[in-house]
Amino acid sequence: MPAIAAHHQPDRNFKYWIIAPAVFLLLLIGLFPLIYSLVVSFMRIDMMDTDTSFAGLYNYKQLFKDSRLWWSLAHTLLITVIALPLELVLGLAMAYLFLEKLPSRQIFISLLVLPTIISPIVAGATWRLLFDNKYGPINQIISWIAGQRVDALWTINPSLVYPAIIFCEIWQWTPFMFLILLAALSNVDKSQTEAAEIDGASFIRTFRYVVLPAIWPVMAIAILIRGLDLFRIFDIIWALTQGGPGTKTETISIYAYVQGFKQFETSYTAAIAFLVIFLLTVVCTWAIRRMGLVK
Amino acid sequence: MSDLKITNLHKHYGAFHAVKGIDLDVPSGEFTVLVGPSGCGKSTLLRTIAGLEEASSGTVEIGGEDVTWARPRDRNIAMVFQNYALYPYLNVKDNIAFGLRSRKVPEAEVEKRVSRAAEMLGIGHLLKRFPRELSGGQRQRVAIGRAIVRDAILYLFDEPLSNLDAQLRDDMRVEIKRLHQELGRTMVYVTHDQIEAMTLADRIVLLRDGLIEQQGAPLDLFERPKTRFVAGFLGSPKMNFIPATTTETGVALSDGTRLDVPGRSGLKAGQAVVLGLRPQYIAMAGQSLAPGHARVPVTIELVQPTGSRVQATMPLGGATIIAELAAHDVSRPGERTEIDIDMTRAVIIDPQNEQVI
Repeated sequence: MPAIAAHHQPDRNFKYWIIAPAVFLLLLIGLFPLIYSLVVSFMRIDMMDTDTSFAGLYNYKQLFKDSRLWWSLAHTLLITVIALPLELVLGLAMAYLFLEKLPSRQIFISLLVLPTIISPIVAGATWRLLFDNKYGPINQIISWIAGQRVDALWTINPSLVYPAIIFCEIWQWTPFMFLILLAALSNVDKSQTEAAEIDGASFIRTFRYVVLPAIWPVMAIAILIRGLDLFRIFDIIWALTQGGPGTKTETISIYAYVQGFKQFETSYTAAIAFLVIFLLTVVCTWAIRRMGLVK
Repeated sequence: MSDLKITNLHKHYGAFHAVKGIDLDVPSGEFTVLVGPSGCGKSTLLRTIAGLEEASSGTVEIGGEDVTWARPRDRNIAMVFQNYALYPYLNVKDNIAFGLRSRKVPEAEVEKRVSRAAEMLGIGHLLKRFPRELSGGQRQRVAIGRAIVRDAILYLFDEPLSNLDAQLRDDMRVEIKRLHQELGRTMVYVTHDQIEAMTLADRIVLLRDGLIEQQGAPLDLFERPKTRFVAGFLGSPKMNFIPATTTETGVALSDGTRLDVPGRSGLKAGQAVVLGLRPQYIAMAGQSLAPGHARVPVTIELVQPTGSRVQATMPLGGATIIAELAAHDVSRPGERTEIDIDMTRAVIIDPQNEQVI
């Protein structure tokens, strides 16, 4: 029967051959650097010395003695713990506001989302100009309101620099929360909130029992994404203060950058990177479980 | 005392005028059904009563109190939604108790009322389940339970049965009627289904294009419709409409058939009218002619058995009419026979303004 003989049995492994190049590429640019930097973190590589011998756990032991590292972690946590809830609450409030069918709602939403579209380093540089103590409009506006010359050193004064950073961060990323929460809120079954309204439930009670459970999966992911972003925060701070004054606003990303590309402590930087990977993995795994995203 | 009083209510959505000046008075304990075709404004009217939509003008009074601008929660109403609107993350018990707890009713009282409502609706064994674990009929019962557990002045139903299959719909209709008899509460019920309206209502309010076309007891609307629309909307199968001309004693059809309409001797002859005949008031010719009946020869074209009854289609006076006959009366299509029409029930309509004369 020639008709059947001409019909080849399909090669069962063919699909693997098709995805092989992509897998190879992913391993090359993903897994290889990871393993290579792990290897590097156990060596003694830096740009001041030709000694590249095996160092064992030396770099990891150094981590625990490095107070500048732990301070940078503390700075990172401080920014995250303050900025994240503020972005969440503000984003949620804005989303609630825009849930109503307002005239020219689309235009306002587009305008509000603009900060998130701007590259963080550009946003940081722009805010640095706005915060400038002599020529920046922010001090000018405060001067008008105060009725006397105000000369606040926003990017230098240790007590003003965190508010400035957190303000920029919130300005740039609240719209992200807003957009995601607006989408989630629009999907809440309207008749359920109406039923709650007729049932006499307060806003808080309706939110707690009807709205929050419905938007929680989306909200949890938004919190996770922003939490991770905040933990890696670099651009805005680099543009505003470069971690200064001194090391006062140095975050873990900035400290790793300084160690790796200013001090050229290659192996030690690799050890820092693995500390961060370890911490984030633990926190992420815990958070994903805790938020009930994986059943 | 009336529990609901609506005065000159209007509702605009932009350029669209959904409710065009409605006056309605619902006495205490009455079951009122708002019925009409899609887009007649019945749901909008109900949502405005509930406060989920704001009235453009006019007033809404509930329990003697002007609530036109009150929030839904301050109106002392309970409502059953078309899609049930159960809270998906609360179990059946918490769903039913939600309104009571929101109003800070003591927990012991909540327990008592929830178990009583659950017992009335036969859902006592489902209290620990979540809405997603329930069938459509069970969800509907929970939704009704959530309404009746409350001590409201007014109970609103927005097409509560339209998502159920036919069998379940019949069962739930009986259930709702029984609940109304037991509770004796004032209920306003929206539906597009005229059978639901006929069977449930103490009073039907028939809406068309944002206005009340006619209101009254179901049988009153069925027997004495004021317009062609009302005559055609209520009843299944629908009323037959045949073009006709008036005579001194009744009407003449286009094929020359003359039909006397009892009690209508004062008609002006020669006027073009529409004769309305209900399929239920047409029967196979009997032995003797009852008073007020007209005997007409016809040829049966089509027969649709529905079990105990048969819907027979036949041409009459240039129109095709349907007669609802007893099942054993009709043998086969094509049969030449005679029918008796109860002309005392006939309706004569002026085709110009569609009013019943």
